[in-house]
Amino acid sequence: MNRQIRRLGAALLVLYGALFVQLNVIQVLRADAYNDNPNNTRAIVRDFNQPRGQIVAADGTVLARSVPTDGGQFEQRREYPEGELFGHVTGYFSFIAGADGVERTYNDALAGRAGTTSIDDLGELLQGESKIADVTLTIPTEVQRVARDSLGDRRGSVVALDPRTGAVLALWSFPSYDPTVISSVDIEAAQQARNEVLADEANPLLARSFRETYFPGSTFKVVTATAGLSSGVVDVDSTTYPRSSEYVPPLTRNPINNFGGSVCGGALFDILEVSCNTAFAQMGVDVGAATLVTQAEAFGFNQVPPLDLPGVEPSPVSDVPSFERNTPVLAMTAIGQNAVRSTPLQMALVAAGIANGGQVLTPHVMNEIRDQEGQVVQRWEPSSWTRAASPQVAATVRDAMVGVVEEGTATRLAVPGVATAGKTGTAQLGNGLSHAWIIGFAPAEAPRVAVAVIVEAQPGASEQTGGRVAAPIAQAVLGAGLQATA
Amino acid sequence: MITARRRNTELGLIVLGAVITAAIYTLASLGTTADLPADIGPFLGVVLALLLGAHVATRRLAPAGDGVLLPLAGLLNGLGYVWIARLDENLAALQATWTAVGVTAFVATLVVVRRSRDLERYRYTFMLIGVGLLLMPLLPVLGKTVNGARIWVGLGPVSFQPGEFAKIILAIFFASYLVEKREVLGMGANRLGPLTLPELRHFGPVLVAWAASLVVMTAQRDLGSSLLFFALFVVMLWVATERASYLAVSALLFAAGAFAAWSLFSHVQERISVWLDPWVDASGQGYQVAQAAFALAWGGVAGTGPGLGSPDRIPLVETDFIFAAIGEELGLFGAAAVLVTYMLMIGTGLRIAVRAQVPFNKLLAAGLTAILGIQSFIIIGGVIRLVPLTGITLPFVSYGGSSLIANYVLLALLIRISDDSAQAEADAGGAARSLAGTGRR
Repeated sequence: MNRQIRRLGAALLVLYGALFVQLNVIQVLRADAYNDNPNNTRAIVRDFNQPRGQIVAADGTVLARSVPTDGGQFEQRREYPEGELFGHVTGYFSFIAGADGVERTYNDALAGRAGTTSIDDLGELLQGESKIADVTLTIPTEVQRVARDSLGDRRGSVVALDPRTGAVLALWSFPSYDPTVISSVDIEAAQQARNEVLADEANPLLARSFRETYFPGSTFKVVTATAGLSSGVVDVDSTTYPRSSEYVPPLTRNPINNFGGSVCGGALFDILEVSCNTAFAQMGVDVGAATLVTQAEAFGFNQVPPLDLPGVEPSPVSDVPSFERNTPVLAMTAIGQNAVRSTPLQMALVAAGIANGGQVLTPHVMNEIRDQEGQVVQRWEPSSWTRAASPQVAATVRDAMVGVVEEGTATRLAVPGVATAGKTGTAQLGNGLSHAWIIGFAPAEAPRVAVAVIVEAQPGASEQTGGRVAAPIAQAVLGAGLQATA
Repeated sequence: MITARRRNTELGLIVLGAVITAAIYTLASLGTTADLPADIGPFLGVVLALLLGAHVATRRLAPAGDGVLLPLAGLLNGLGYVWIARLDENLAALQATWTAVGVTAFVATLVVVRRSRDLERYRYTFMLIGVGLLLMPLLPVLGKTVNGARIWVGLGPVSFQPGEFAKIILAIFFASYLVEKREVLGMGANRLGPLTLPELRHFGPVLVAWAASLVVMTAQRDLGSSLLFFALFVVMLWVATERASYLAVSALLFAAGAFAAWSLFSHVQERISVWLDPWVDASGQGYQVAQAAFALAWGGVAGTGPGLGSPDRIPLVETDFIFAAIGEELGLFGAAAVLVTYMLMIGTGLRIAVRAQVPFNKLLAAGLTAILGIQSFIIIGGVIRLVPLTGITLPFVSYGGSSLIANYVLLALLIRISDDSAQAEADAGGAARSLAGTGRR
């Protein structure tokens, strides 16, 4: 029996050796990954008691700061003086909910852990120095405020970008929320506030601007037009589409109609001005699935835009094989319905790409990070994200979009005294309601501001809805953005 | 002489363990996130005093018994107490009480069982008691279901888990039964490839044990105990018969039972899928295991320091998941130290088994050590996701009266066996010396 007993000992030794190996895997090898897991609130607990850097708007307005408490469980509490105005941008820094927004992306800088080793930390701990840093955003408070006030209490989003740098100038969606209460050091109050926000049917926590996708409707015709021009299938003057009130794609008997059964057709500028469904549906079928999908992806669809905020949603387009099996869906997608969805951010990137000569820059909300002495620790270097079109094609599409504002569906977008480019969209929901869309940029000859606006579920189902409802909001934001970037 | 040396070693080690425990306890009280009220401190004194009491009893009752097991158990008990007090101050006084009862049971076992071979005589009584205890929770009035498992029995104000005691009593029964039958069970009748298989009818006991563990698993929904009972029996059968074929057949039976359980029970499937990937549902079914991983990762190599972690986020952290709490606050160092402590206990237990001259003692010591080793492995492995989680207590560390008392009884039996062996050796040595003496004359 002794031999078996010794073998039993050896077997148990192997089992405990395995336990030790697994402990090393968890506590050493994968420790960082577990510590960064969003379900893990331990990092929050540690950071909660320490001073934390400020988040500041482009104009210097304080958006988030830590102030000492009057005693109690925690030494610091976080407050957001602008309330809900920047809720989806700053996010929250909450004991119960973790961190979101800039608070999460730039947590290491705000908490003073960026680029330091533990030995540095020890030295600083002994010297009592703090490495916490302030994060300055690209968003001017005024532009954000104009976005909020223009949208009012209609559900929707406003996204404005500087197409030359990718800097975000406005990132607003309604409804929003005030991060202060959720970040309260009064755990019960914070929990209650969070529960209330979670229970709200309008879902104020949802940053619709970059975390919700919608049918882009006719704004997507800008993508289709770019695909036509880039592939050579469409020539600005010589390619014309028949004047018709309906178009029947191959493999189906169900026609695609123009709004209100109107008759339209002609060359590219004409059909974009009036947002001609029949022509663009046919254009989509003519350029083919592969070209349209490649073009959409060149604008950033099917990818997560590298905006420096957590939880950015990709804007999906169906894959080539499924379009090739189903041409009617391809035709519908070419006019922004059926198999394509977009975040407001992605449509703003489409506008910015055309505005910037076909080059889409990496969108970002951080401008610079400064330490407590005011020294810049990190400054955002503009970088290219994706090339959407050649400068020539981009210039042609731009001119067509100027035509839409001058003579087409987007006349309300025109900023007085400035050449403005735009494209409306009305994504019908089938119950007499539509999402009203607009994208645009200005000044057309040297764009400094690109914008996308969606107003959800508006009464009306004509192509005028986007121009009537969304254009004035975008026009106000373009104006404010031009002033801020002047 | 050896007697005195062993006892002094034991005393020294107990004091060392007590100093370690008290130091960690002090650190935990200083930790900012835990605020341990001062009045829990005296309970720690009680726990440590009890261990000294157990030592004094050993000096009288088993003077030649092993001197390492009690200090190791005391260290684990003390560590467990510190974390229980740190996690839930209300449980601290109770755990101190359970420790008192456990130490009393330890002493009582040494008093009642004067020679371990005495146990061999009552094998069928033990079998009846063991099976009775095992099935007791299934009784209509007495049995209680807690956290989905029907493993509790309520007698008036007292509740306990009879399974914790059944495992020891069944180990005694297995040892006496197998020692008697080992010749028969060990005979090879059929050959199957490299394996020599005993006659088919001798697999009967394996099937009975297998069926019993299936009952525990299905009727009581207690996966951990079911696995432990089956593993215990198979290991003892193998040690007794020296036949590897029993291991092979048992492995097949285990696989069949596990597969059947997986196909039939949603809670088993849930455990398996959480084991494979807790992150798909880290805020739902995978929550407990995910939180344990977070705790251990947060502790890292050196730990957060006692009282400075947040192990209270882990459900059932005082019982099944206490290892994660220790791992968070003492880090890889502390967690590895706990593993080493169990390995030292296992090594000591198996050495007692090897040194025992009487087959029954040998087998019983091996079985009791297997209980300790396998049970600790099952729960630590479950907590750190090496194996699927099957809820069971961590011996001497987890909160819980039944577990603590049963493990002290187990400890007393091992010490009694080692005392018997040492006495026998001494007698044999004395006899040899006196023989040599007569020879010279």
